[in-house]
Parts: sequence; C-alpha cells; structure tokens
Amino acid sequence: MPVWQVALVLNLTLAVGLALGYAAWGRRAEALDREFGDARVQVERLERERAACAAGARAGEQQWEGRGVVRAIYPQLLVITHEEIRGLLPARTTSFRAAPPALRESIRVGDPIRFSLRGTVADDAALVALERW
Amino acid sequence: MRALLLAALWLHLASSLLLMGAFFMLLLAGAPRASAARRWDQAVVAGSRVLVLLALGSGIVWLLVRTALFESRAQAALDPRAVLRAVLDTWPGFVWLARHGVLLVLAAFLATRPDVGERRNWIAARAEALLLAALALALVSGSSHAAAITPGTLRAVAVDVAHLVGTGLWLGGLVALALLLRAAGRDDDAEARAYAVRAARRFSRAALLVMIVLMASGVMNAIAQVESIAGLAGTTHGRLLLAKLAVLVPILVLAAVNRTRILPALSGPDAMRRLAAFVALEAVLALVLLGLAAAMTLTTPARHGEPVWPLPFRLSLDALLDVPATRWRALLGTQLATAGVVGLMVSFLLRRRRAPVLAGALALVAVGAGIGLPPLVVDAYPTTYRRPLVTYHAASIASGMATYHEHCAACHGAAGAGDGTLADLRSPPASRRHAGELFWLVSHGTPARGMPAFGGRLAERRRWDVINFIRLLGAADASRTIGRRVEPDRAWLVAPDFTVAVGPMAPGALRDHRGRRMVLVVLYTLPGSRARMTELARSYDVLWIMGVEVIAVPRHASPEAIGELGSSPPVLFPVVTDGNADIVATYGMFAPGPHAELLVDRQGYIRAIWEGATGGMPQAAAVQAQVEKLNEEKSPPPFPDDHVH
Repeated sequence: MPVWQVALVLNLTLAVGLALGYAAWGRRAEALDREFGDARVQVERLERERAACAAGARAGEQQWEGRGVVRAIYPQLLVITHEEIRGLLPARTTSFRAAPPALRESIRVGDPIRFSLRGTVADDAALVALERW
Repeated sequence: MRALLLAALWLHLASSLLLMGAFFMLLLAGAPRASAARRWDQAVVAGSRVLVLLALGSGIVWLLVRTALFESRAQAALDPRAVLRAVLDTWPGFVWLARHGVLLVLAAFLATRPDVGERRNWIAARAEALLLAALALALVSGSSHAAAITPGTLRAVAVDVAHLVGTGLWLGGLVALALLLRAAGRDDDAEARAYAVRAARRFSRAALLVMIVLMASGVMNAIAQVESIAGLAGTTHGRLLLAKLAVLVPILVLAAVNRTRILPALSGPDAMRRLAAFVALEAVLALVLLGLAAAMTLTTPARHGEPVWPLPFRLSLDALLDVPATRWRALLGTQLATAGVVGLMVSFLLRRRRAPVLAGALALVAVGAGIGLPPLVVDAYPTTYRRPLVTYHAASIASGMATYHEHCAACHGAAGAGDGTLADLRSPPASRRHAGELFWLVSHGTPARGMPAFGGRLAERRRWDVINFIRLLGAADASRTIGRRVEPDRAWLVAPDFTVAVGPMAPGALRDHRGRRMVLVVLYTLPGSRARMTELARSYDVLWIMGVEVIAVPRHASPEAIGELGSSPPVLFPVVTDGNADIVATYGMFAPGPHAELLVDRQGYIRAIWEGATGGMPQAAAVQAQVEKLNEEKSPPPFPDDHVH
C-alpha cells in the first residue's frame, strides 16, 4: 500500500478512535454522573418517607427537618425565616400551615426553633412539631 | 527534585518542538531531488526517530517525578499504583496519556521506513508526521496554566496552542534549516545549493508570519497570566518572562541580519556556511528561551502570586494631582518622547542617513523621559502591590478602629484628619498611597518623621485591620457628598461587607445580595425608630417586589431584637441579632445618630444615605423613589474589589 493511503487510513483511525473514545468513555461518565445524582435524591426521599412512616404518617408522605426563627404568628399559619431545608426549600422566609393549632401557643415572635414538616410536596408541607432551639 | 522536573520538561518540550518543526521544514523545502538534499531529508527523518524516543523517555521521567512531587514522597515515583493514580485520576495525567499515545503512534509511523520514491507518497509521509507531532504538541496546552483560566478557557487554550505550535514551526524549522545549509555549503553541488537557497527564502517568509503570531499570542498569554506591571517585575513568573524577552531581543536582531543582509546575497558556499552558523546560533538561543518558558510553566502564574516590588519608586499619574505646576512638564516630556518614538519608526523605513535619524530619535526619547518622568515618580516599597490579608469587612474595620484608638490616635488624631501632630490620613498623600504602601509604613515606620514601627508589636492581621479602618476614615469623610438622592451613574462609595446573623441560624453576608438585590441597611434605635420600623414592615412587600432587601440592625445586639419590634404588622425582613457592634461602628461612620438608612445598589455601592438626626426619618415614598432611580440605571459599574487598594 502506498504511503499516502497509509497516512489517510491512519488519520481516519485517529478521528474514529477519538469519536469512539468520547462515545464510550466520555458519554458514559456523564450518564453515570446523572444516574448517581438521581439515585442520591431518591435515597434521600425514601429515607424521609421512612422517617415519616415511623412517626405515623400516611403512605407517600415525607418528613423534613428545619431550623429557623419565628417571624409572625397567625391563627392557621406560622411565618418562619429558616435555613435550607434539605430536599424541600432553600434558606428563605416561608409561611407554613400548623397542623395542630396548639403548636403556636408555645412560641413567640423572634424565637429560634427547630421544626418538623410533613407532606408530599412543598405546597402541602405542614408543621407537625416544633421546639425552642 | 524540581531541577529534575525542569530538565525533563525542557527535554520533552524541546524534542516535541524540534520534531514538529523538522517536518514543517521538510515540507517547506519540498521533495528533494539532488543527492545532498536527499541525504539531508534522510538525516532529518533519522534524527526525528531519535527525537520521538527522547520525547517519550523524558515524558515518562517527567510523569514519575511529578507523581513523587504530587504525593510528596520520593518512593511514589517507583510505585506503580501511585503512578497509575496520577495518570488516570488527574486531568494533567489524562492529558499526558493522550499526548504520549499520539507520540507512540508517531514513533511507530516513523519506524516503518516506507518507500517514498513517489512525490505523492513523500508528501503524505512527511505531512502525516507533521500532523501527529503538531497534535502531540497542541495537547500540552490542555494541562497548562492557560487551561486553568476561567472564564474563557477555550480562548486561552487556543492562544496557548498557537504559541506552542508557532514556537515548534520556528525553532524546529531553524534547526533543520541549519543542517540543510551546512550540508549544501559543504557539497560542490549546484543543484543542492539552489534547493537550499529556495528553502531558506521560503522559511524566511514563513518565519516572519510565525513570529508575528508568536508575539501576538505571547502578549495575550502574558496579559492573561501576569496581568500587571507589578506581577511582571515582582514575581518569579514575571521575572522569568522578562528574562525570556531579554533573550528574544538578540534572537530578533540575528533573524533581522539573516533576513536583510545574508539571505539576499546567498550564493557561494562561504555565505551559506556563515548563514548556517548564524541560524544555528539563533537556534541555541531559542533553546535557552525554551528553558525559561519551561521554568515559567513550573512557577505559580504572576496573577496568583504576591508581587514584591523591586524598585524604591514607582510612576503614578496621581502624583500630578497634588502639584499642578508639574503637569506641563509631564505633558512636554511625553510629547517629546512620542516624537522620538515616531522618529525611531521612521529611521527603520529610511534607506539612507539612517544613523543620524536614529541617534536623534533616541536622544529625543531620552530627553522626553528625563523631563516627563521625574514628576510622576512616587516612593514605593516592596509591599506596594501586596493584596491585603483581610477583606474590607465590618469586623476587620471595627478591630482596626480599636487598634487605631489604642496606638495611632495619640499622634494622628481621633478622626485621622491631622488633628494630631502627625500626618493627615484622610487626604493626600496618605489617601493616594496603595494599601500595600500603608502596610509598609505601619510595619516599618518612618523614624525621620517620628512614626514608630509596628511590625514587631502588632500581628499582620491587625495591621491590615488598621489599614481597612484608615480607608474607611477617608471614605466616611468623602461620603458627606452623598445625600438623600441617588446621583445617576455615580457609584464610588463601596459598602463594607458585614455578617448578617439572624438568631442562631447559619449567618449570611451583605455581599450575598450582590448582582441580585439592592439592600436598604437600616440602623435603628427603639423606641425612637418604632414608627419608621412599622412603616418599613408594612411596605416590605412593595420594596421586595422593587428588588430591595431590607436588613435591620439594632444598635445593640440582642437575641430578643425581633420580638421587640412587635408582631403587628409582622416584621419579615432580616433583623441582625449578633455582631451589631461591628456594623454600627462601621456604618455609623457614614451616618452617626440613632436612626440611619443606607441604600446599597446591586453592585455593592452606597448610593443614598438618610440620617434621622438631620432632616427627620425618611419617608417610604422617598426611599422608593430612589430605588426606582437605581432600577432605571442601564450600565452598572463593575463589582467593587473585596480588598482595599
């Protein structure tokens, strides 16, 4: 085979090798990264569900823990400035429904608290327990 | 160990560059017909076989030494697991693997010794070798300093690749050309000489182009990695670059002589041998240059280094602000020097009477510099361009304030305004000095003027704290021009950062809002501020929608601060309950009095100040009107630096 043909084949092999290398290795690494992230989110969700079940919740409900400061107290709602609630909300000020209304009797505005939320999504998460921090 | 790393890197780079340039030169000269040219072609290919083995060998040594340095134990170099980790688990290792894979393919290709009798085959064989060598070389950039630049990684790497490949074409071409000229000069073969002359002329044209690319990419690389004159003169990386430029000058002179004097008169074997010697000398200098470049890749880039200024002075345009009379002098000097530079350029274009024009131009530049530069000279110290150890933060400023009152106020006065016996710290020249210069003066004192040295008495952090406080003194003095109305597009007063601690939660910071929201910093005292705080609580949702966060800071820290504001209407903005003293001490300098509000724009500059003591409490509508003005601004200034200057 003349050299110019060898050179051509060699270049083609290089190009194909690079493409295959990316397809086989680079893309798989990306996919694995994504799968790993998904799996971790799922594990966290299952753990919250198990915690909720252990605390006597209905099927499908999850439980979240948070820390914050009470900013306002209404008959049905508590407004809380809180740190990040893992798996639910970033750090911000949020109003939560207080499931047992008696919860609000033990606290005043400005109190630092730890609290537990239960629900299926952020919109229906309700306070089920709180204590002074 | 580092010397070995440098030697291996130099050998690896040199052989990779020579390899690539050799094949470039072969292709440039064209398929050889004369026997001497044929022998040269064979010799270059034989040499490149050695070069590729050298590149592979030195590459392996480099990897082993780097592994040992990476794991900081010498035995790691011979531990297969450690080496494997370095190759497979690090980015430079991965790039190394790709590069040496390509070199291995090249070595195999060169080892086949194919029949290249036909012109087409000769071109294919040499071009393939050039391509592989260029690929291996370009991959070096993948793990260079350029690859660490973000954002704009791709651009930086492309510039670096251009620089590397350009160097390869030039350096490798030079060496191969020197060999050809020597071979042609020895032989009494007219055809071979004609071939060599043609090759030299083609290379000369190509080299001019390559040199332009090299300089452009070199300047772009330097701007990205060195950034400043201080970095150039004050860090190892920058000084290596200066040394590199110093070696470049004789190379360019040699190249110019070759191109303009020897090349046009290239006929006899003598001229050819002389050109061969000159070209070889140029190549040797280029290899020295390469050593400096290799050392540069092993040092921290200047932009990350702490520059140590080597001169007792620096040039500063600010110096002209204080003595208006010197402006004319500086202006005259620069005009003369500019005329001299124009004269220099003209002298290069002239064919006759070049020497007198050149001398006159140089004299003009010298006289211009002599007249224009002295007024710009100001004192400088080794730490002039040091970056402060601590950021411009309320905690640092408050600590600096305490230190200042303890050690400095006796002489400089409580306000630092020359109310003591020593210098006024708020106005020039003190206010125009770099923070690094103040650091030097605080540390070493100026015994002649009675300023003691605090280097031994105050820890480094505390000295930087004092400098932050001195900067605040100046800023607070200047801030009196900032009123209750936002001046459009005039942002200059940097808001010192502070910690926002609400209850026992993880604290945030003022700067967390940069680029996102404006911040209304409210310093308040109960009960005087109660009415305004109630109004703020009511209008908070409107302010929030307008893009404003409110941060309320009671004058005294208290865990009960939120509760004390009451629950009707509910107060939903952050109320700082810890570290208030630092914030009040710092922001109180801008606005003393029991109640004050400062509007900080999205970039982190204070744009309006309301002070309760003068003119009563601010009205909600007035604040919102100023917020609207900020929302209308189209071109925000850049974010302020986290450190003082």
